[in-house]
Amino acid sequence: MTSMWKVLKQWFIEMGSPPLFYNWSSKIIPWLGIATLVLLSIGIFWGLFVSPIDYKQGDVYRILYIHVPSAILGESIFIFMAICGFINVIWRAKISGMMLKAAAPIGMSFTLLVLVTGSVWGKPTWGTWWVWDARLTSTLILFFIYAALIGLHSTIEDKTKADRAVSILSIVGVAIIPVIKKSVDWWQTLHQPSTFTITSSPSMSPEMYLPLLVCLLGFYLFFAFSLTLNLRNEVLDRERSKNWVKQKFSS
Amino acid sequence: MNSIFDWLTIILRRDLLIAFRRSATYITPLIFFLIVVTFFPLALGPQESLLSSLAPGVIWIATLLASLLAVESIFSEDFRDGTLDDFFISLEPSFVLVFAKVLIHWLITGLPIMAASIIAAVVLYLPFDSFLPILLSLILGTSFMSLLGALGAALSLGKSAILSAIIVLPFSIPTLLMGTSVITSSINNQDYFGFLMIMGAMLAIGIPLLCLLTVEALLLNYD
Repeated sequence: MTSMWKVLKQWFIEMGSPPLFYNWSSKIIPWLGIATLVLLSIGIFWGLFVSPIDYKQGDVYRILYIHVPSAILGESIFIFMAICGFINVIWRAKISGMMLKAAAPIGMSFTLLVLVTGSVWGKPTWGTWWVWDARLTSTLILFFIYAALIGLHSTIEDKTKADRAVSILSIVGVAIIPVIKKSVDWWQTLHQPSTFTITSSPSMSPEMYLPLLVCLLGFYLFFAFSLTLNLRNEVLDRERSKNWVKQKFSS
Repeated sequence: MNSIFDWLTIILRRDLLIAFRRSATYITPLIFFLIVVTFFPLALGPQESLLSSLAPGVIWIATLLASLLAVESIFSEDFRDGTLDDFFISLEPSFVLVFAKVLIHWLITGLPIMAASIIAAVVLYLPFDSFLPILLSLILGTSFMSLLGALGAALSLGKSAILSAIIVLPFSIPTLLMGTSVITSSINNQDYFGFLMIMGAMLAIGIPLLCLLTVEALLLNYD
């Protein structure tokens, strides 16, 4: 048991060393890109053109194929960042700090996308761009927290210190996630309850539900793809004075 | 000088002395709070019904802004003159230092604000019955704000004051929501203990977690 743990730990440490990460990530990037493209085009085409019209909302409901996955992504990226932050604070793993930094702008963009698509959908359906309802407000707070994290990182000169400062703040910020998740159950709100639950079968018909699932997987892959790209830039930027970078780009 | 409590009393006595020698430290938040409260009747007009319905929000916004005012001073002076270095070198649990600093910040901002909130409640036409819930919610809320403020101050040590405000404000929204809910439900004769309990729970988690994270944030400056 302990030897397996040791092997696993060794593997993690090796994979996390900047030059090794750079090498293996250049192999997986094309695959990630192709898989993202395929899944997203299938999911979005299926959702926008094939799946049936909603009998109450008409075609307006189709924005959910963007809205729901970006909402889930906006929250999961924050949890991912908090885990990275936790690892960074406790084990001082360099790469986890860079990951945190690379993931933040992606998460913030998804959260912005949720807010924008939500209000585009809200105007024809609820009759208003914005309501001060619990789920909308808590998502807005998440957006502000992303902004605080990115702002804090940019003010600290030393990148490693900035990573640790942002890690500390992301651990505090993760408390918002259960609040967003449960906001539709705890408070009386205009926003409908969760579409996805692990414990019960979906309330939507499968023709509408399956494309959403494909879109969600596509969004997750897109996150992995863009995170890897961001992280490679970050690694090169921080290690630019190291030998392996010089050797790679000398010719 | 072995026990943690000795250290706590030493730091508390020293910082309280410094605070009382310079009366501006505890008077500024008080005056600031009253000025912000005064602005609302001036801007919105003096109707009694309007002001009393807005009062919970007004009191809490003024509280958050006023307690942010002194956040900058929690660590910056000790950091500049090297006292903070001495604390970390002395190898006592640095948790004690942070906890004492939070307590001091609460004593020089939270406590004066609580006194001023009663004046605010009177001039904003809140009923006498709501004074107790206001004070209860402010005890819990301002202590949590002091904890958050210490973390913000530690993270933005040596940087602009506006940065700590931007860090702290998004995290203070739950306190704002719960605090105003306590006052509003007491005005409407509803049960407000549920909200107080949530605030208490936030404080109970916040004291150990935020103090430890603040220590970690302070250590960033001593690599």
